[in-house]
Amino acid sequence: MPKVFYTQPDGSERVVEAAAGDSVMQTAVRNGVAGIVGQCGGVLSCATCHVFLAEENAGDFPPVGEDEDEMLDCAATEREDNSRLSCQLVLDDGREVHVTVPEAQL
Amino acid sequence: MTETTSVGTEFPFGPVSPDDAVEHMKRLLADRPMTKVTMPHGGDLWVVHRNRAAKEVLADPRFVREPFRTGERVVPFPVPFPDFLRTTLQFEDPPQHTKLRKLVQKAISPRRVREMRSSAVAFANELIDRMLARDGVHNLVAEYAVPLPIEMLSSLLGVPSSDREKFERWSSSSMSVAGASDSSAADMAELAAYMTDLIAKRREEPRDDLLSSLAHAREKDETLTDAEILPIAFILIVGGFDNTANFITTAVRSLLRSDEQRALFLTDPDGLAPTAAEEVLRHGGFETGNPVGAGGGLVPFVAKEDVLVDGQLIAAGEAVAIDPVSTNHDPATFEEPGRFDITRKDNPHLMLSHGLHHCLGAPLARMELQVGMSEIFKRIPGLRLAGEAEARSDVLTQPMTGLPVTW
Ligand code: FES
Repeated sequence: MPKVFYTQPDGSERVVEAAAGDSVMQTAVRNGVAGIVGQCGGVLSCATCHVFLAEENAGDFPPVGEDEDEMLDCAATEREDNSRLSCQLVLDDGREVHVTVPEAQL
Repeated sequence: MTETTSVGTEFPFGPVSPDDAVEHMKRLLADRPMTKVTMPHGGDLWVVHRNRAAKEVLADPRFVREPFRTGERVVPFPVPFPDFLRTTLQFEDPPQHTKLRKLVQKAISPRRVREMRSSAVAFANELIDRMLARDGVHNLVAEYAVPLPIEMLSSLLGVPSSDREKFERWSSSSMSVAGASDSSAADMAELAAYMTDLIAKRREEPRDDLLSSLAHAREKDETLTDAEILPIAFILIVGGFDNTANFITTAVRSLLRSDEQRALFLTDPDGLAPTAAEEVLRHGGFETGNPVGAGGGLVPFVAKEDVLVDGQLIAAGEAVAIDPVSTNHDPATFEEPGRFDITRKDNPHLMLSHGLHHCLGAPLARMELQVGMSEIFKRIPGLRLAGEAEARSDVLTQPMTGLPVTW
Protein backbone atom coordinates (compact mmCIF):
# COMPACT_ATOMS: atom_id res chain seq x y z
CA MET A 1 0.00 0.00 0.00
CA PRO A 2 1.44 3.40 -0.95
CA LYS A 3 1.87 6.04 1.73
CA VAL A 4 1.88 9.81 1.40
CA PHE A 5 3.49 12.15 3.94
CA TYR A 6 1.91 15.61 3.74
CA THR A 7 3.79 18.46 5.43
CA GLN A 8 1.81 21.66 6.05
CA PRO A 9 3.37 25.13 5.77
CA ASP A 10 3.52 25.25 9.60
CA GLY A 11 5.70 22.12 9.63
CA SER A 12 3.08 19.65 10.90
CA GLU A 13 2.99 16.33 9.10
CA ARG A 14 0.26 13.84 8.31
CA VAL A 15 0.73 10.35 6.94
CA VAL A 16 -2.02 8.81 4.85
CA GLU A 17 -2.27 5.28 3.50
CA ALA A 18 -3.26 5.48 -0.14
CA ALA A 19 -4.61 3.10 -2.75
CA ALA A 20 -2.34 2.15 -5.65
CA GLY A 21 -3.48 3.98 -8.79
CA ASP A 22 -4.79 6.99 -6.87
CA SER A 23 -3.01 10.30 -7.20
CA VAL A 24 -1.48 12.33 -4.39
CA MET A 25 -4.33 14.83 -4.94
CA GLN A 26 -7.10 12.20 -4.74
CA THR A 27 -5.55 10.73 -1.62
CA ALA A 28 -5.49 14.16 0.03
CA VAL A 29 -9.05 15.07 -0.96
CA ARG A 30 -10.45 11.68 0.13
CA ASN A 31 -8.77 11.96 3.50
CA GLY A 32 -9.46 15.62 4.13
CA VAL A 33 -5.82 16.74 4.08
CA ALA A 34 -5.89 20.52 4.41
CA GLY A 35 -4.47 22.74 1.69
CA ILE A 36 -5.10 20.57 -1.37
CA VAL A 37 -8.32 21.58 -3.12
CA GLY A 38 -8.27 19.69 -6.42
CA GLN A 39 -11.28 21.55 -7.73
CA CYS A 40 -11.07 20.26 -11.30
CA GLY A 41 -10.88 16.63 -10.21
CA GLY A 42 -7.50 16.09 -11.81
CA VAL A 43 -7.93 17.30 -15.40
CA LEU A 44 -5.22 19.97 -15.20
CA SER A 45 -7.51 22.93 -15.31
CA CYS A 46 -7.45 24.44 -11.81
CA ALA A 47 -3.91 24.48 -10.35
CA THR A 48 -5.36 24.06 -6.84
CA CYS A 49 -3.46 20.83 -6.15
CA HIS A 50 0.02 22.39 -6.16
CA VAL A 51 2.66 20.68 -3.94
CA PHE A 52 6.41 20.68 -3.51
CA LEU A 53 7.77 17.19 -4.11
CA ALA A 54 10.60 15.96 -1.90
CA GLU A 55 13.99 15.60 -3.57
CA GLU A 56 14.15 11.87 -2.86
CA ASN A 57 10.90 11.29 -4.80
CA ALA A 58 11.88 13.34 -7.83
CA GLY A 59 12.66 10.27 -9.92
CA ASP A 60 9.53 8.34 -8.89
CA PHE A 61 7.18 10.05 -11.33
CA PRO A 62 7.20 11.01 -14.99
CA PRO A 63 8.59 14.53 -15.50
CA VAL A 64 6.37 17.61 -15.67
CA GLY A 65 4.33 17.49 -18.89
CA GLU A 66 3.56 20.43 -21.15
CA ASP A 67 0.04 21.03 -19.80
CA GLU A 68 1.16 20.62 -16.21
CA ASP A 69 3.94 23.11 -16.84
CA GLU A 70 1.49 25.71 -18.13
CA MET A 71 -0.90 25.22 -15.22
CA LEU A 72 1.92 25.45 -12.67
CA ASP A 73 2.40 29.03 -13.84
CA CYS A 74 -1.19 29.69 -12.74
CA ALA A 75 -0.76 28.44 -9.18
CA ALA A 76 -1.46 30.84 -6.32
CA THR A 77 1.88 30.17 -4.64
CA GLU A 78 5.00 30.94 -6.70
CA ARG A 79 6.32 27.74 -8.30
CA GLU A 80 9.72 26.33 -7.51
CA ASP A 81 11.95 23.75 -9.15
CA ASN A 82 10.28 20.92 -7.24
CA SER A 83 6.71 22.15 -7.84
CA ARG A 84 4.20 19.58 -9.10
CA LEU A 85 0.46 19.37 -9.58
CA SER A 86 -0.40 16.50 -7.30
CA CYS A 87 -3.20 15.20 -9.52
CA GLN A 88 -0.41 14.10 -11.87
CA LEU A 89 1.44 12.12 -9.21
CA VAL A 90 -0.08 8.65 -9.48
CA LEU A 91 0.97 6.25 -6.74
CA ASP A 92 2.47 2.82 -7.38
CA ASP A 93 2.07 0.04 -4.87
CA GLY A 94 4.52 0.30 -1.98
CA ARG A 95 5.65 3.82 -2.85
CA GLU A 96 6.34 6.29 -0.01
CA VAL A 97 6.04 9.89 -1.11
CA HIS A 98 6.80 13.12 0.76
CA VAL A 99 5.20 16.38 -0.31
CA THR A 100 4.90 19.84 1.20
CA VAL A 101 1.67 21.82 0.84
CA PRO A 102 2.15 25.45 -0.26
CA GLU A 103 1.04 28.53 1.67
CA ALA A 104 -2.04 29.08 -0.55
CA GLN A 105 -3.97 27.34 -3.34
CA LEU A 106 -6.56 30.02 -3.99
CA MET B 1 -48.00 23.12 8.67
CA THR B 2 -48.26 20.03 10.84
CA GLU B 3 -46.78 17.71 8.19
CA THR B 4 -43.28 19.08 8.46
CA THR B 5 -42.29 16.90 11.40
CA SER B 6 -43.16 13.66 9.68
CA VAL B 7 -41.06 14.05 6.55
CA GLY B 8 -39.94 10.78 5.04
CA THR B 9 -37.38 10.09 2.37
CA GLU B 10 -39.25 11.43 -0.63
CA PHE B 11 -37.58 13.64 -3.17
CA PRO B 12 -38.27 16.29 -4.27
CA PHE B 13 -39.63 17.64 -1.02
CA GLY B 14 -41.45 20.89 -0.44
CA PRO B 15 -40.25 23.81 1.68
CA VAL B 16 -39.73 22.91 5.34
CA SER B 17 -37.74 24.57 8.11
CA PRO B 18 -33.96 24.33 7.61
CA ASP B 19 -33.65 21.95 10.58
CA ASP B 20 -36.32 19.65 9.20
CA ALA B 21 -34.63 19.78 5.80
CA VAL B 22 -31.34 18.60 7.32
CA GLU B 23 -33.15 15.71 9.05
CA HIS B 24 -35.05 14.82 5.89
CA MET B 25 -31.86 14.71 3.86
CA LYS B 26 -30.19 12.54 6.47
CA ARG B 27 -32.87 9.89 6.00
CA LEU B 28 -32.79 10.32 2.23
CA LEU B 29 -29.00 9.92 2.08
CA ALA B 30 -29.13 6.81 4.26
CA ASP B 31 -31.78 5.35 1.98
CA ARG B 32 -30.20 5.77 -1.47
CA PRO B 33 -27.45 7.57 -3.40
CA MET B 34 -29.79 9.14 -5.96
CA THR B 35 -33.43 9.52 -6.93
CA LYS B 36 -35.03 9.40 -10.35
CA VAL B 37 -37.33 12.35 -10.84
CA THR B 38 -39.37 13.59 -13.76
CA MET B 39 -38.58 17.20 -14.51
CA PRO B 40 -41.29 19.59 -15.69
CA HIS B 41 -39.18 19.97 -18.85
CA GLY B 42 -37.01 17.37 -20.58
CA GLY B 43 -38.24 14.22 -18.84
CA ASP B 44 -36.48 11.89 -16.41
CA LEU B 45 -33.35 12.70 -14.48
CA TRP B 46 -31.25 10.95 -11.84
CA VAL B 47 -30.56 13.47 -9.08
CA VAL B 48 -27.50 12.46 -7.05
CA HIS B 49 -27.64 13.14 -3.29
CA ARG B 50 -24.53 11.59 -1.81
CA ASN B 51 -21.39 13.69 -1.84
CA ARG B 52 -18.97 10.93 -2.86
CA ALA B 53 -21.24 9.57 -5.56
CA ALA B 54 -21.63 13.11 -6.90
CA LYS B 55 -17.89 13.58 -7.14
CA GLU B 56 -17.60 10.26 -8.93
CA VAL B 57 -20.12 11.41 -11.52
CA LEU B 58 -18.47 14.81 -11.95
CA ALA B 59 -15.05 13.25 -12.47
CA ASP B 60 -16.20 10.56 -14.93
CA PRO B 61 -15.72 11.41 -18.63
CA ARG B 62 -18.45 8.94 -19.57
CA PHE B 63 -20.97 11.59 -18.54
CA VAL B 64 -21.20 14.14 -21.35
CA ARG B 65 -23.27 17.12 -22.46
CA GLU B 66 -23.19 16.71 -26.21
CA PRO B 67 -26.82 15.57 -26.70
CA PHE B 68 -27.97 18.82 -25.05
CA ARG B 69 -25.71 21.01 -27.13
CA THR B 70 -26.81 19.48 -30.41
CA GLY B 71 -30.45 19.70 -29.43
CA GLU B 72 -30.86 15.94 -29.76
CA ARG B 73 -32.22 16.02 -26.22
CA VAL B 74 -34.08 18.57 -24.14
CA VAL B 75 -32.27 19.51 -20.91
CA PRO B 76 -34.24 18.05 -17.97
CA PHE B 77 -34.77 21.10 -15.80
CA PRO B 78 -37.38 22.71 -13.54
CA VAL B 79 -37.89 25.52 -16.10
CA PRO B 80 -37.26 25.66 -19.86
CA PHE B 81 -33.48 25.79 -20.06
CA PRO B 82 -32.28 29.17 -21.37
CA ASP B 83 -31.23 28.63 -24.97
CA PHE B 84 -28.15 30.75 -25.04
CA LEU B 85 -26.63 28.82 -22.12
CA ARG B 86 -26.49 25.73 -24.30
CA THR B 87 -23.88 27.39 -26.49
CA THR B 88 -21.44 28.02 -23.65
CA LEU B 89 -18.42 26.12 -22.41
CA GLN B 90 -20.68 24.30 -19.97
CA PHE B 91 -22.00 22.26 -22.88
CA GLU B 92 -18.77 21.44 -24.64
CA ASP B 93 -17.03 18.14 -24.07
CA PRO B 94 -13.31 17.44 -24.56
CA PRO B 95 -11.29 18.09 -26.69
CA GLN B 96 -12.93 21.39 -27.72
CA HIS B 97 -13.83 22.06 -24.11
CA THR B 98 -10.25 21.56 -22.98
CA LYS B 99 -8.89 24.06 -25.47
CA LEU B 100 -11.34 26.85 -24.65
CA ARG B 101 -11.30 26.20 -20.98
CA LYS B 102 -7.53 26.36 -20.70
CA LEU B 103 -7.39 29.74 -22.37
CA VAL B 104 -9.89 31.26 -20.00
CA GLN B 105 -8.61 29.47 -16.96
CA LYS B 106 -5.24 31.10 -17.31
CA ALA B 107 -6.85 34.51 -17.20
CA ILE B 108 -8.82 33.70 -14.03
CA SER B 109 -6.14 31.56 -12.43
CA PRO B 110 -5.50 31.55 -8.69
CA ARG B 111 -2.34 33.54 -9.41
CA ARG B 112 -4.11 36.24 -11.42
CA VAL B 113 -6.87 36.49 -8.82
CA ARG B 114 -4.38 37.01 -6.01
CA GLU B 115 -3.03 39.94 -7.95
CA MET B 116 -6.55 41.36 -8.17
CA ARG B 117 -7.18 41.08 -4.45
CA SER B 118 -5.82 44.45 -3.37
CA SER B 119 -7.95 46.27 -5.93
CA ALA B 120 -11.00 44.35 -4.69
CA VAL B 121 -10.22 45.45 -1.14
CA ALA B 122 -9.80 49.05 -2.28
CA PHE B 123 -13.06 49.04 -4.22
CA ALA B 124 -15.01 47.39 -1.37
CA ASN B 125 -13.79 50.17 0.91
CA GLU B 126 -14.86 52.85 -1.58
CA LEU B 127 -18.35 51.34 -1.54
CA ILE B 128 -18.34 51.24 2.26
CA ASP B 129 -17.21 54.90 2.40
CA ARG B 130 -20.19 55.82 0.26
CA MET B 131 -22.53 53.88 2.56
CA LEU B 132 -21.07 55.48 5.68
CA ALA B 133 -21.55 58.95 4.23
CA ARG B 134 -25.25 58.67 4.95
CA ASP B 135 -27.04 57.40 8.07
CA GLY B 136 -30.21 55.34 7.99
CA VAL B 137 -31.21 52.18 6.19
CA HIS B 138 -29.15 50.97 3.22
CA ASN B 139 -29.75 48.31 0.60
CA LEU B 140 -26.74 46.04 0.91
CA VAL B 141 -27.41 44.33 -2.43
CA ALA B 142 -27.54 47.45 -4.58
CA GLU B 143 -24.91 49.42 -2.69
CA TYR B 144 -22.36 46.69 -2.06
CA ALA B 145 -22.96 43.08 -3.13
CA VAL B 146 -23.72 43.84 -6.79
CA PRO B 147 -21.25 46.66 -7.57
CA LEU B 148 -18.24 44.74 -6.21
CA PRO B 149 -18.37 41.75 -8.60
CA ILE B 150 -19.38 44.00 -11.50
CA GLU B 151 -16.32 46.14 -10.97
CA MET B 152 -13.98 43.15 -10.69
CA LEU B 153 -15.33 41.27 -13.67
CA SER B 154 -15.52 44.34 -15.86
CA SER B 155 -11.91 45.15 -15.21
CA LEU B 156 -10.94 41.53 -15.84
CA LEU B 157 -12.88 41.44 -19.12
CA GLY B 158 -11.86 44.94 -20.12
CA VAL B 159 -15.28 46.60 -20.12
CA PRO B 160 -15.06 50.42 -19.86
CA SER B 161 -16.31 51.70 -16.49
CA SER B 162 -18.83 53.98 -18.16
CA ASP B 163 -20.67 50.94 -19.56
CA ARG B 164 -20.81 48.95 -16.38
CA GLU B 165 -24.36 49.92 -15.47
CA LYS B 166 -25.69 48.31 -18.61
CA PHE B 167 -24.15 45.05 -17.53
CA GLU B 168 -26.22 44.84 -14.45
CA ARG B 169 -29.38 44.86 -16.55
CA TRP B 170 -28.01 42.48 -19.17
CA SER B 171 -26.79 40.06 -16.59
CA SER B 172 -30.14 39.67 -14.88
CA SER B 173 -31.97 39.56 -18.22
CA SER B 174 -29.83 36.68 -19.34
CA MET B 175 -31.14 34.59 -16.47
CA SER B 176 -34.79 35.51 -16.92
CA VAL B 177 -37.09 32.57 -16.94
CA ALA B 178 -38.41 32.24 -20.48
CA GLY B 179 -41.46 34.36 -21.06
CA ALA B 180 -41.07 36.25 -17.81
CA SER B 181 -39.82 39.37 -19.45
CA ASP B 182 -40.41 40.66 -22.97
CA SER B 183 -37.32 42.79 -22.88
CA SER B 184 -34.92 39.96 -22.11
CA ALA B 185 -34.45 38.81 -25.71
CA ALA B 186 -33.77 42.38 -26.77
CA ASP B 187 -31.33 42.80 -23.90
CA MET B 188 -29.47 39.65 -24.90
CA ALA B 189 -29.17 40.85 -28.48
CA GLU B 190 -27.88 44.17 -27.20
CA LEU B 191 -25.29 42.43 -25.04
CA ALA B 192 -24.13 40.27 -27.98
CA ALA B 193 -23.78 43.32 -30.22
CA TYR B 194 -21.92 45.21 -27.53
CA MET B 195 -19.48 42.38 -26.89
CA THR B 196 -18.88 41.74 -30.60
CA ASP B 197 -17.99 45.38 -30.99
CA LEU B 198 -15.68 45.31 -27.98
CA ILE B 199 -13.94 42.14 -29.24
CA ALA B 200 -13.30 43.86 -32.59
CA LYS B 201 -11.76 46.83 -30.76
CA ARG B 202 -9.51 44.59 -28.71
CA ARG B 203 -8.42 42.69 -31.81
CA GLU B 204 -7.20 45.96 -33.23
CA GLU B 205 -5.80 47.42 -30.06
CA PRO B 206 -5.07 44.80 -27.45
CA ARG B 207 -4.91 45.76 -23.79
CA ASP B 208 -4.07 43.87 -20.65
CA ASP B 209 -7.46 42.20 -20.23
CA LEU B 210 -9.23 38.91 -20.84
CA LEU B 211 -11.01 39.86 -24.06
CA SER B 212 -7.72 40.99 -25.57
CA SER B 213 -5.97 37.80 -24.64
CA LEU B 214 -8.83 35.67 -26.00
CA ALA B 215 -8.91 37.70 -29.20
CA HIS B 216 -5.19 37.17 -29.60
CA ALA B 217 -4.96 33.65 -28.25
CA ARG B 218 -2.95 31.41 -30.46
CA GLU B 219 -3.14 27.88 -29.28
CA LYS B 220 -1.00 25.90 -31.63
CA ASP B 221 -1.79 28.17 -34.54
CA GLU B 222 -5.46 28.40 -33.86
CA THR B 223 -7.10 31.72 -33.15
CA LEU B 224 -10.43 31.95 -31.44
CA THR B 225 -13.31 33.27 -33.53
CA ASP B 226 -15.89 35.75 -32.27
CA ALA B 227 -18.35 32.88 -32.16
CA GLU B 228 -16.08 31.12 -29.71
CA ILE B 229 -15.27 34.16 -27.58
CA LEU B 230 -18.82 35.44 -27.22
CA PRO B 231 -20.23 32.49 -25.26
CA ILE B 232 -17.22 32.61 -22.94
CA ALA B 233 -17.89 36.24 -22.20
CA PHE B 234 -21.58 35.40 -21.66
CA ILE B 235 -20.97 32.67 -19.14
CA LEU B 236 -18.56 34.88 -17.22
CA ILE B 237 -21.05 37.71 -17.10
CA VAL B 238 -23.89 35.49 -16.00
CA GLY B 239 -21.92 33.59 -13.40
CA GLY B 240 -19.71 36.44 -12.39
CA PHE B 241 -22.24 39.10 -11.55
CA ASP B 242 -25.33 37.44 -10.33
CA ASN B 243 -24.05 34.44 -8.44
CA THR B 244 -21.23 36.25 -6.72
CA ALA B 245 -23.54 39.06 -5.62
CA ASN B 246 -25.87 36.43 -4.18
CA PHE B 247 -23.01 34.73 -2.34
CA ILE B 248 -21.91 38.02 -0.76
CA THR B 249 -25.46 38.88 0.27
CA THR B 250 -25.98 35.42 1.74
CA ALA B 251 -22.70 35.70 3.64
CA VAL B 252 -23.63 38.99 5.29
CA ARG B 253 -27.20 37.92 5.92
CA SER B 254 -26.31 34.61 7.50
CA LEU B 255 -23.72 36.23 9.78
CA LEU B 256 -26.19 38.94 10.78
CA ARG B 257 -28.66 36.22 11.79
CA SER B 258 -26.20 34.23 13.87
CA ASP B 259 -24.98 36.26 16.86
CA GLU B 260 -22.62 33.51 17.89
CA GLN B 261 -20.89 33.06 14.52
CA ARG B 262 -20.79 36.82 13.90
CA ALA B 263 -19.09 37.44 17.26
CA LEU B 264 -16.55 34.79 16.34
CA PHE B 265 -16.02 36.25 12.86
CA LEU B 266 -15.47 39.74 14.30
CA THR B 267 -12.51 38.47 16.34
CA ASP B 268 -10.49 37.99 13.13
CA PRO B 269 -12.35 38.74 9.87
CA ASP B 270 -9.31 38.39 7.58
CA GLY B 271 -8.10 35.19 9.23
CA LEU B 272 -11.54 33.54 9.27
CA ALA B 273 -12.74 34.71 5.84
CA PRO B 274 -11.37 31.69 3.90
CA THR B 275 -13.15 29.04 5.98
CA ALA B 276 -16.20 31.25 6.53
CA ALA B 277 -16.59 31.76 2.78
CA GLU B 278 -16.60 27.99 2.18
CA GLU B 279 -19.16 27.49 4.94
CA VAL B 280 -21.40 30.18 3.43
CA LEU B 281 -21.18 28.42 0.08
CA ARG B 282 -22.05 25.08 1.67
CA HIS B 283 -24.71 26.07 4.13
CA GLY B 284 -25.32 29.85 4.15
CA GLY B 285 -28.71 29.54 2.48
CA PHE B 286 -29.96 27.51 5.45
CA GLU B 287 -29.00 30.24 7.90
CA THR B 288 -31.03 32.96 6.24
CA GLY B 289 -34.14 31.53 7.89
CA ASN B 290 -36.07 30.84 4.69
CA PRO B 291 -37.79 27.47 4.38
CA VAL B 292 -35.73 24.96 2.40
CA GLY B 293 -37.07 22.67 -0.28
CA ALA B 294 -35.21 20.47 -2.69
CA GLY B 295 -36.00 19.31 -6.15
CA GLY B 296 -33.47 20.67 -8.55
CA GLY B 297 -29.96 19.94 -9.55
CA LEU B 298 -27.05 21.51 -11.33
CA VAL B 299 -26.85 21.36 -15.12
CA PRO B 300 -27.30 17.67 -16.12
CA PHE B 301 -25.11 15.24 -18.05
CA VAL B 302 -26.03 12.24 -20.21
CA ALA B 303 -24.43 8.81 -19.70
CA LYS B 304 -22.55 7.71 -22.83
CA GLU B 305 -22.66 4.11 -21.68
CA ASP B 306 -23.97 2.15 -18.67
CA VAL B 307 -22.23 3.39 -15.52
CA LEU B 308 -22.55 1.98 -12.02
CA VAL B 309 -22.35 4.68 -9.35
CA ASP B 310 -22.57 3.78 -5.66
CA GLY B 311 -24.50 0.63 -6.49
CA GLN B 312 -26.99 2.33 -8.78
CA LEU B 313 -26.96 1.68 -12.52
CA ILE B 314 -27.21 4.77 -14.67
CA ALA B 315 -28.08 3.37 -18.08
CA ALA B 316 -26.66 4.66 -21.36
CA GLY B 317 -28.71 7.64 -22.52
CA GLU B 318 -30.07 8.50 -19.07
CA ALA B 319 -29.60 12.00 -17.69
CA VAL B 320 -27.98 12.70 -14.33
CA ALA B 321 -27.44 15.84 -12.23
CA ILE B 322 -25.96 16.71 -8.86
CA ASP B 323 -28.18 18.09 -6.12
CA PRO B 324 -25.99 20.63 -4.33
CA VAL B 325 -28.32 20.93 -1.34
CA SER B 326 -28.16 17.31 -0.23
CA THR B 327 -24.56 16.67 -1.34
CA ASN B 328 -23.55 19.61 0.87
CA HIS B 329 -25.37 18.11 3.86
CA ASP B 330 -24.20 14.51 3.62
CA PRO B 331 -23.37 13.27 7.14
CA ALA B 332 -20.90 10.77 5.62
CA THR B 333 -18.83 13.75 4.45
CA PHE B 334 -19.70 16.58 6.83
CA GLU B 335 -19.67 16.36 10.60
CA GLU B 336 -22.92 17.85 11.95
CA PRO B 337 -24.06 19.04 8.51
CA GLY B 338 -26.81 21.19 10.02
CA ARG B 339 -24.37 23.30 12.03
CA PHE B 340 -23.22 26.67 10.67
CA ASP B 341 -19.53 26.63 11.56
CA ILE B 342 -17.33 29.30 9.99
CA THR B 343 -14.19 27.52 11.20
CA ARG B 344 -15.05 24.21 9.44
CA LYS B 345 -11.80 22.92 7.97
CA ASP B 346 -12.70 19.93 5.87
CA ASN B 347 -15.40 21.36 3.63
CA PRO B 348 -15.60 19.64 0.22
CA HIS B 349 -18.95 21.20 -0.73
CA LEU B 350 -20.09 21.14 -4.34
CA MET B 351 -21.56 24.60 -4.63
CA LEU B 352 -18.99 25.50 -7.29
CA SER B 353 -19.17 21.97 -8.68
CA HIS B 354 -16.13 19.79 -9.25
CA GLY B 355 -14.29 18.15 -12.11
CA LEU B 356 -14.10 19.16 -15.74
CA HIS B 357 -16.99 21.61 -15.54
CA HIS B 358 -16.30 23.14 -12.15
CA CYS B 359 -17.07 26.82 -11.89
CA LEU B 360 -14.74 28.65 -14.24
CA GLY B 361 -14.67 31.70 -12.03
CA ALA B 362 -14.24 29.76 -8.76
CA PRO B 363 -11.00 31.50 -7.71
CA LEU B 364 -12.52 34.91 -8.46
CA ALA B 365 -15.83 34.15 -6.74
CA ARG B 366 -14.02 32.91 -3.64
CA MET B 367 -11.75 35.93 -3.46
CA GLU B 368 -14.65 38.37 -3.87
CA LEU B 369 -16.71 36.57 -1.27
CA GLN B 370 -13.84 36.62 1.23
CA VAL B 371 -13.05 40.27 0.61
CA GLY B 372 -16.73 41.22 0.54
CA MET B 373 -17.50 39.69 3.93
CA SER B 374 -14.36 40.70 5.78
CA GLU B 375 -14.19 44.35 4.67
CA ILE B 376 -17.76 45.20 5.58
CA PHE B 377 -17.53 43.68 9.05
CA LYS B 378 -14.14 45.26 9.70
CA ARG B 379 -15.42 48.71 8.84
CA ILE B 380 -18.95 48.36 10.25
CA PRO B 381 -18.81 45.84 13.10
CA GLY B 382 -22.18 47.11 14.35
CA LEU B 383 -23.95 46.20 11.09
CA ARG B 384 -27.47 44.82 11.60
CA LEU B 385 -30.56 43.83 9.64
CA ALA B 386 -33.22 46.49 9.18
CA GLY B 387 -35.92 44.44 7.47
CA GLU B 388 -36.63 41.41 5.33
CA ALA B 389 -34.68 40.40 2.23
CA GLU B 390 -36.33 40.64 -1.17
CA ALA B 391 -35.72 38.28 -4.06
CA ARG B 392 -36.77 38.13 -7.70
CA SER B 393 -38.66 35.02 -8.63
CA ASP B 394 -38.80 35.67 -12.38
CA VAL B 395 -35.09 35.00 -12.73
CA LEU B 396 -33.56 31.53 -12.85
CA THR B 397 -31.16 32.08 -9.96
CA GLN B 398 -33.78 33.93 -7.86
CA PRO B 399 -31.29 36.60 -6.87
CA MET B 400 -31.81 38.73 -3.81
CA THR B 401 -32.51 42.29 -4.85
CA GLY B 402 -32.80 43.87 -1.46
CA LEU B 403 -31.32 43.42 1.98
CA PRO B 404 -32.03 46.39 4.28
CA VAL B 405 -29.19 46.98 6.73
CA THR B 406 -28.20 49.71 9.15
CA TRP B 407 -25.74 50.27 12.02
S1 FES C 1 -6.70 18.92 -9.54
FE1 FES C 1 -6.93 20.55 -10.92
S2 FES C 1 -4.97 20.76 -11.75
FE2 FES C 1 -4.74 19.13 -10.37
